[in-house]
Formats: sequence, structure tokens, C-alpha cells
Amino acid sequence: MSEADYHPLPIAAESNKNSETEKYHTFVNLALGLAAITGVELVLVYLPFNEIFIFSVLLSLSLFKFVAVIAWFMHLLYDKLLLTLAFGTGMAIATGTFIALGSLISRSNVDMDAITSF
Amino acid sequence: MSENATAHQDDGHASLIIDNKKLLMWLFLGSDCMFFGTLISTHLIYRKLYPESFDPTTLFSLELTSFSTFILLMSSFLMALAVSAMHKGELKSFRRNVLGVIFFGLIFLGCQVYEFAHFVHAGLTLSTNTFGSTFYMMTGTHGVHVAIGVFWLICMYFYSHTGKMDAHESAVDVEIAGLYWHFVDIVWIVIFTAVYLIEFI
Repeated sequence: MSEADYHPLPIAAESNKNSETEKYHTFVNLALGLAAITGVELVLVYLPFNEIFIFSVLLSLSLFKFVAVIAWFMHLLYDKLLLTLAFGTGMAIATGTFIALGSLISRSNVDMDAITSF
Repeated sequence: MSENATAHQDDGHASLIIDNKKLLMWLFLGSDCMFFGTLISTHLIYRKLYPESFDPTTLFSLELTSFSTFILLMSSFLMALAVSAMHKGELKSFRRNVLGVIFFGLIFLGCQVYEFAHFVHAGLTLSTNTFGSTFYMMTGTHGVHVAIGVFWLICMYFYSHTGKMDAHESAVDVEIAGLYWHFVDIVWIVIFTAVYLIEFI
């Protein structure tokens, strides 16, 4: 099949093109927003603010970037709920593991001598 | 049943269908989340247990890492455009955007190789301490994911020149490659904040 024979799906006609054009503007805005947030993050760590405040802002910005890429770039916002559940389950287990390990393991409840003796 | 009613029923049925490949990719990404979740958790827990073992702020270059993050975010943008172009059936636009993604992916890998070489030169290797072990393991695994993504897209780019690309199948295939690439991007978003930025607070 030559390039000239290449045709999109019948359903990917005018309405599909319009929706893809709308998405293009969303993608441009999102890309600019994500780039700006990365710049803000870089500047933020050098500012003499309270550590907890900076940590909270960094966490929020990172979470926003994470969710924005999944929702718009990965189309999860426009896709079926089942796909969100498939990914969400893995995310929930990963987050749960992180929280559980973080709260269970600390210097106070780990035998540091036993670890360092290896 | 009239023709319209049948068509309507078909549309309703179609709206319930999820492509198997797409579902499998989302399930794989969910499992990969757990994989990276444990790698990042391990790194952060060892940082908590041995905070004095190593001071990464003396080695890390936030400017370089921010640049890498920016590059990866922009590659995600181009990947989204490539998927969109494929849905519209614009093969030339798809190729242009995929080339951009490949180029940005290679820049990211180049930055990572430079960073690793710099760290090793400064004395931080995989076996130096727990920080070195967990850091190289985590960022290295991410780098391998990026390299696989670049290889996948290069194959897809050349395949688009064979003339065998079918509109429906290829749109789904490109979308799946896009999902993988975006996932690599979101993992880096987490690593950038949890591993690099936090050290400078």
C-alpha cells in the first residue's frame, strides 16, 4: 500500500478531525503549563522559605503534573472507566507499599547494627 | 428493525468495546507502577536510614536534571501530537512528531549517560554505598525504559515507510506506544521531585 492509498477510518472524518484540533490546543496549553511548573519547581528549592511549605508545594506541583499527563496526554480523561481502574489498581498498590514501608521502617525500629554488620 | 436502529445499536455496542491491546498496556503500566513504586520506596527508605552516608547535593546538578525533565515533558507533548496525527490519518505529521520524540528521547539518554559518567568519575558507583546502589538501580531502570521506548519508536518510524500501515490497527498501535512513552514521563516526574528536588530543601 503506497502513502497515497493511506486513508483514515471512515469514522475519523470531519467530527474526529475537529475533536483532534480541539485536543491540539489543550496539548499546547498543557505542555506550556508543565514547562512553567518545572521552572517554578527549580526556583522554589533555592528560596529561603519554610521547609514544610516548600515540600508541600513541590508535592502538589508534582502531583498536578503527574495527573495532568495521565488525564490529557494519556487520554484517560476521554477513555473508558475500566482503563482507569486497571491503572488505578497498580497505582494504589504502589502508593500503599510506599506509605507502609515508609511508616514501618525508621531508625528507631530497625536494628542498624545488624544491617551494618554485613 | 430499521437501518437507523441497527446502526444506533452498533454504535452503542462499539462504545462498550475496549481494544485488547490497549487494556493490556494499561494493565502492564499498572504493574510497572508497582515496580517503580518499590524502587523509589527503597531509595527513599535507605535515605531515611542512612542520611549521613552521602550528600548528593554536592554531585547533583539541578539545572541539568531540570533540563532533562523539560526535554521529557516536551517529548510527551510531541508524542500526544503524533497519536493525534495518526487518528486524523496524517502520516507525514505523525512521522515528523515521532522523529521529534526520538530526538528528545536521545537527548534525555545523553544527559543521563553524562550524569552517570560524572558521578562515577566523582567516586559514586553502584557499590560505593546504599545511596549509589538504590540511585543507579532506580534511574538506570528508568533509563532502560526510555531506551526501549526510543527503540520502539524508531521501529515504528521505519515501519511507517513500508506502506503497510493500516489506519485502524496502526492508530491503536501508535496510541499504545504513546501510553508507554507518557508513562516513562510520569515516572520521571516522580523521580525528579522525590529524588532530586527534595535533597535541596
